[in-house]
Amino acid sequence: MLGELKELWRYRELLLVMVQRDLKIRYKNSALGFLWSFLNPLLTVGVMTFVYSNFIFQKQPQMGAYIMAAYLPFMFFQQSIMDSSQSVIASVSLIKKIYFPRELLPLAAVLSNFVNFLFALTIFFGYLLVNYLLNPGSFPIQSTVYLLPMLVLFSLALTLGGSLIVSALNTFYEDVKYIVSILLYLLFFICPIVYFDETVANSKLNLNSEWLAYKIYNLNPIAHLCTAYKKAILAPYDPKVMGPAGSDSSDIVQVGSIPISWNYLAATGFTCFFVLIFGYWLFNRLKWRFVERP
Amino acid sequence: MSQGYIKIRDLRKEFLLNTSGAGSIKTMLLWWKRRKLTHVEVLKGVSLEVNPGECVAVVGKNGAGKSTLLSLLARVYKPTSGSIEVKGRIAPLLELGAGFHPDLTGIENIYFNGVILGLSRKEMRDRTQAIIDFSEIGDHINAPTRTYSSGMLARLGFSVAVHIDADILLVDEVLAVGDYDFERKCYAKIDEFRANGGTILFVSHQMDAVRRVADRCVWLKDGQVHQVGTPDQIIGEYEGHGPAPELGS
Repeated sequence: MLGELKELWRYRELLLVMVQRDLKIRYKNSALGFLWSFLNPLLTVGVMTFVYSNFIFQKQPQMGAYIMAAYLPFMFFQQSIMDSSQSVIASVSLIKKIYFPRELLPLAAVLSNFVNFLFALTIFFGYLLVNYLLNPGSFPIQSTVYLLPMLVLFSLALTLGGSLIVSALNTFYEDVKYIVSILLYLLFFICPIVYFDETVANSKLNLNSEWLAYKIYNLNPIAHLCTAYKKAILAPYDPKVMGPAGSDSSDIVQVGSIPISWNYLAATGFTCFFVLIFGYWLFNRLKWRFVERP
Repeated sequence: MSQGYIKIRDLRKEFLLNTSGAGSIKTMLLWWKRRKLTHVEVLKGVSLEVNPGECVAVVGKNGAGKSTLLSLLARVYKPTSGSIEVKGRIAPLLELGAGFHPDLTGIENIYFNGVILGLSRKEMRDRTQAIIDFSEIGDHINAPTRTYSSGMLARLGFSVAVHIDADILLVDEVLAVGDYDFERKCYAKIDEFRANGGTILFVSHQMDAVRRVADRCVWLKDGQVHQVGTPDQIIGEYEGHGPAPELGS
C-alpha cells in the first residue's frame, strides 16, 4: 500500500488539474455557474428551517443554524459519494488508453466537493456573524469550535473511504449506484440533522432499552459527526427549556443537553479512518480489473 | 534525451470473458450457476527487448495480441505473469485522441493530456504553443474536441505525444490518419525523435511504414513471437505467408 501512496504522490499535479477541471466545469459552463452549487442547499435548508422552526421546534431559536451545521457536512458526504460513484465508469474510455493511478478519479470528485464544502462552511460562519450583529447577546458560536478542523478531517476521511468503495463497486455492478442513492436518502433520516441527538436520548425507545438505542444510533459515524458539528459550533440545545411545543416537556424530558462525548468522538474518528483505509485497500485490489471487467 | 529501453520477459496476459454478460447484480444472481467464464490467453509468453534508440515494429494478424502488448506496456493492463521493465518516460499513442475528454477544448485537452503523461503544469504551459503550432489545428483549438474530425484528433494526439520529451514512443497504427502533408511531417518528427536517441515500439499493418522506420521487426502470431528479423526479411515472410489460409488454427 505504501508503494501505491508513493505513486499517488507522484501524480499530485494531475490530481490538482482534475480538481480544477471539475470545478471549472461546475462553475463555468452554466449561466448561473457558482450559484447552482449553493442554490440547492440554500433552498433545502430554507424549507427545512421553515418547517422545523415553525411546526416542530417552535421555541428553539436559531433552528436554521442547527440544521445547517449538520446538513453541510452531510451534503458533502452525500454529494461526493454520488459524484464519485460515476467517476470511474465515466472515464472508462480514458483509462483504457492511458495510465494514471485510477484512484485519482474518485479522489478528484471528492476533493472538488470538499472545496465546495469549505466554501459553504465559510458562508455559514458569515451567516452566524451577521446573525450575531443583528441580535447581539445570542452569540451562538462556542469555544469548542477549535474542534472543527478535526471534524472536517474525519468527514474527509470517511467520505474518501466511502467514495473509493462505491466507485470501485459501481464499476462492476451499476446497480450499486441506485442502491447507494437510496441508502443515502434513508441516511438523512437516521442522522440528527433536522432534530437533535437529545431527541433520540429522550425517546421512549432509548429509555426503555436502557440507552442501547442511543449507543447504536451514535455508532453511525455520520450521525455522530452531525451531532459533533452542532455541539462544537453552536450553543447547547436544552430539551428541557426548549422542548417540542405543545408537548408536556417536563414529563417526557428526562435527559438535558448532552455535552460533546470524547468516547463517541474517538469511536467516530476510528471508524472514519478505518473506512478510508479499507476503501483504499479495496480500490487498489480491484482497480486493475476496471478495464477488463468480464 | 536519456536512453529509454524496454525489456519484456515471458509476458502472459489472460482475459476473463463472461458469456452471460453480468452487468448487474440481478444478472449475476440469476445466472450465477449458468455463468460461463472463459479464460482467453492473448499473450502466451512473449519475450522482447527494445534497445535504447532502436525502432521495433510489431506485425501480425488481427487478434495476434499486438494491441494488448502495447496496452500492457502503457500500463493499462496488469500482466497475468511475466515482467516488463521500462526505463524512461513512455508516450503512448494507442488510438485516435486517446485520453482526450470530448467536452474540453483542444487547449484544455493538451494541458490535461500532458499532465497525465507526467509533465508538470508549468512544463505544459511552456510548450502548449509549440503543440498547437505543430498540430496546425488553428482556431479550432478553442473548440471542444468532440467537434473534431478523426484527422484533427490524430494530429493533436500526435503533437502532444512528441512534445512531452518522452524517451519511448508507443505507436498503434496512428500514422496513417492524417493527410499526406501531415503524415510526412509525422515521419520527419519521428526521424528527429530517433536521431535524438528516442526509442520506438510500433504496431502497423502498413508494410511501407514498417520498412521506412523500423530497425527490427517482430512477427507476433497467436500471442507468441513467431519470428524476429530485419523488416525486409520478416515482411517478405509475412506477406508470402498468404492471406490467412489457416484462420481456424
